[in-house]
Amino acid sequence: MNAFTFESKHKTFLIGAMILGLVCLVLSYFMDSEPMHVRFWSNYLHNTVFFTGIGFISMFIIAAFTTAWAGWFVGMKRVWEAMSLFLIPGLILFIPIIIGMWGHWHHLYHWADAEAVAADPILKGKASFLNKGWYTFGTLIIVGTWIYFAWKNRQISIAEDEEGEGVADNYAHHRRLRVYAAIFLPIAGFSSAAMIWQWVMSIDAHWYSTLFAWYSSASLFIAAMALTILLLVYLKNQGHFAHITSNHFHDMGKFVFAISIFWTYMWFSQYMLIWYANVGEETIYFRHRFDNYRALFFANLIMNFVLPFFILLRNDNKRKYGPLVFASVLVFIGHWVDYFLMIKPGARLTAIEAAAHHAHGHGGHDHAEHAAEVVRPVFDFAMGFNIPGLLEIGIMIGFLAGFLYFVLNQLTKASLVPQNDPYIDEALHHEVWPYPASEDGGNHHH
Amino acid sequence: MSGHISPIREPLITGAKTYHQITEDICGPTERMPSRAWMITFVLAVLGLAFYIFCVTWTIWVGIGSWNLNRTIGWGWDITNFVWWVGIGHAGTLISAILLLFRQKWRTGVNRAAEAMTIFAVICAGQFPLIHMGRLWLGFFIFPYPNTRGPLWVNFNSPLLWDVFAISTYFTVSLLFWYTGLVPDFATVRDRASGIRRKVYDFLAFGWTGSAKHWQRWESLSLILAGLSTPLVLSVHTIVSFDFATSVIPGWHTTIFPPYFVAGAIFSGFAMVQTLMIITRKVLHLEDYITLEHIDSMNKVILATGTIVGVAYLTELFISWYSGYIYEQFAFYNRLMGPYWWSYVGMMSCNVLSPQIFWSKKLRQNIVVTFAMSIFVNIGMWFERFVIIASTLARDYLPSAWSYYSATWVEIGLFIGTLGLFSTCYLIFTRVAPVVAVAEIKSILKNAGDQYVGMKNAHKEHAHAEVEAKSGHDHH
Repeated sequence: MNAFTFESKHKTFLIGAMILGLVCLVLSYFMDSEPMHVRFWSNYLHNTVFFTGIGFISMFIIAAFTTAWAGWFVGMKRVWEAMSLFLIPGLILFIPIIIGMWGHWHHLYHWADAEAVAADPILKGKASFLNKGWYTFGTLIIVGTWIYFAWKNRQISIAEDEEGEGVADNYAHHRRLRVYAAIFLPIAGFSSAAMIWQWVMSIDAHWYSTLFAWYSSASLFIAAMALTILLLVYLKNQGHFAHITSNHFHDMGKFVFAISIFWTYMWFSQYMLIWYANVGEETIYFRHRFDNYRALFFANLIMNFVLPFFILLRNDNKRKYGPLVFASVLVFIGHWVDYFLMIKPGARLTAIEAAAHHAHGHGGHDHAEHAAEVVRPVFDFAMGFNIPGLLEIGIMIGFLAGFLYFVLNQLTKASLVPQNDPYIDEALHHEVWPYPASEDGGNHHH
Repeated sequence: MSGHISPIREPLITGAKTYHQITEDICGPTERMPSRAWMITFVLAVLGLAFYIFCVTWTIWVGIGSWNLNRTIGWGWDITNFVWWVGIGHAGTLISAILLLFRQKWRTGVNRAAEAMTIFAVICAGQFPLIHMGRLWLGFFIFPYPNTRGPLWVNFNSPLLWDVFAISTYFTVSLLFWYTGLVPDFATVRDRASGIRRKVYDFLAFGWTGSAKHWQRWESLSLILAGLSTPLVLSVHTIVSFDFATSVIPGWHTTIFPPYFVAGAIFSGFAMVQTLMIITRKVLHLEDYITLEHIDSMNKVILATGTIVGVAYLTELFISWYSGYIYEQFAFYNRLMGPYWWSYVGMMSCNVLSPQIFWSKKLRQNIVVTFAMSIFVNIGMWFERFVIIASTLARDYLPSAWSYYSATWVEIGLFIGTLGLFSTCYLIFTRVAPVVAVAEIKSILKNAGDQYVGMKNAHKEHAHAEVEAKSGHDHH
């Protein structure tokens, strides 16, 4: 079964889930304890960044593996190709945020408020980077560039299926893929940092951390790998990808395991250095999250480090559906929560401050009062901020359904196993020492 | 018999070797009289080592006053050299451990020498924190134990102390890893030897017989040690970066330091591996085992890590402006425009710009260019540490305390001397142990030897199949 058909009952199910997500999103506009409809806007931004980021990282995974001459993954690379193309709807999803910024519909970004910037020397100092123009054109041009590479990669990969002649044409298509992959890597390295600073880090507009971009990219990598595992398990159960064996799942499990440790290393480095130096401008980020979002603060570490570490430590667990699927669901939600924790507290503060500012008129005489508030604020519990509420879960399901709908639809457009790829034979006979290459596709659970 | 190896993969062993030839080629250098080139180099290295001992003696006798450090610039060449050497040490562990976990076959050509390099580099690195104490005989104060000095405990909050633990653990595990790999090879050397030489290698090989049980335990131990050393290799340079990053000194206190130091360490380590391997393969005639493909792959790692380091440099620079914190901004303004601007330029050009030539495959496979680049990177990474240490310290919060520093002959001599120490160790190593892992090379012969894999064989098979198809003799 090398061709994938997207059955209509699955389409209906996913469309239903998308509608559920949309309903939840609309409800969150009205059911908000915080001002400026920040629950709605922060939910929208959170999921847009998260799923667009997964699309970006999928392209990064293809580029990195291709450049490193990896062979084991090519049997499943169509899934990552499909995921990487989600950058296109991802870019479209950003448009409401951009328009909303110009039209003052939301107060997600403190720096987008001209009056606030005028009264704030730090924001003024950042204004040549943190401004609406940069955000708009940075997003369009940089995500556009990523789309170009994802698209090009996809085109050549499909062309190889039809026109590739293997040894006879010296794997011409594959050699072109390598060139694009190698060029994409440094572009991705530099540009993703800029976008992560704009989209996420600038929500806490005063705060900065040089490690932030690498930290948040590691988070996306795990989410993307976990989602791939889940998708492949699903597709295998549908009777596709028979050649994907427990050896492939083993290696994907290793990636989730290793990058989870790497993510923890990033988390620790950032936290530890800020805690140790104890500079108020930097510690406020963690102080605020620790004091007011403590459940999420610890949930983040437990879901993304402690549990996956112990579950995936054993080789056997990376080869069995049960523990692997459990760990994948866990870290997927875990890193969604990680982004939640990056975005929500800052967005909420910004909204509260903007609302207070509007209420007090344009005087700006209450700066001292504000400062006191900001140094050690104590917040009431707010659903959708202190923990993700039912609406947030519904919205996530909606976005996920949209993502899957897009990806499954892309899968119908090309053969599931790439033809004429120089490494396909290696991928079909992949084995992980000391386990033999198995033909049964890892279905040990029956 | 190429198994399921893609034809697009280039062979990693050339010259259509047999198992016996591999043994001959690699064990040979330990059995022959050294060449003249080796002897000349060895004399030079030992002279360097002697000069090192002289400079250490001078430092201890005269005191740290024989260096040009001052109250503002308390760390100079000493700590720069320390970080430089520790960084170089990283590539060995990276090649042996991380590339083992990633199942990269090309590691087998270079892992032995790289691991040896790690051990010698860490030995060199360890010298500097000790010497710069001034009173070397009180060096044991760094160990925490109940003592009669109060008791006076070490400062457990200090990353400098963590360094002591991290580096000594790292050294121990690296040594074990290296030695484990050597055991079967020592047995091979033993089996070819006689007399006292046989006795010595028999002792070194721990009575290895090559039974299936031995191999199975050896494989498991290698994997366990690889698993242990992977977090260790990260931890060592992370803690070295903490020496700076836990402070509140602008330019030092930045969260990207841990991974950026690790990337830089891998970068400089690979450069040093290139420097050594290019000479070694030539002198010991190992071109069939350390092929242009190996050099190409290592140059790719250099390009990748150099660019990662570049992302980190620009991140630091950008965020220093973005922070809106004037002292942070000044620290970076000072790096670019201050009295040590030349070291910043040296760092940027050697580490970020020059490796970009490795986008070209031709240059990646050019021995002369690779050798020159490896030296460039070594210089650039030394500059990086100098930039971080000296240029940051030279301009502190008090303009009245601002200072400038250039090294005395003693400090320069210590650095050159450690190169002598390092070279002496490495040259002895090439005489007593197989420089390439014999057993591991043999394990990849069937799927990486040039008589079995590669495009040439694929073309031959392809042409053969076409001829058969045309003449209608295709029985399949």
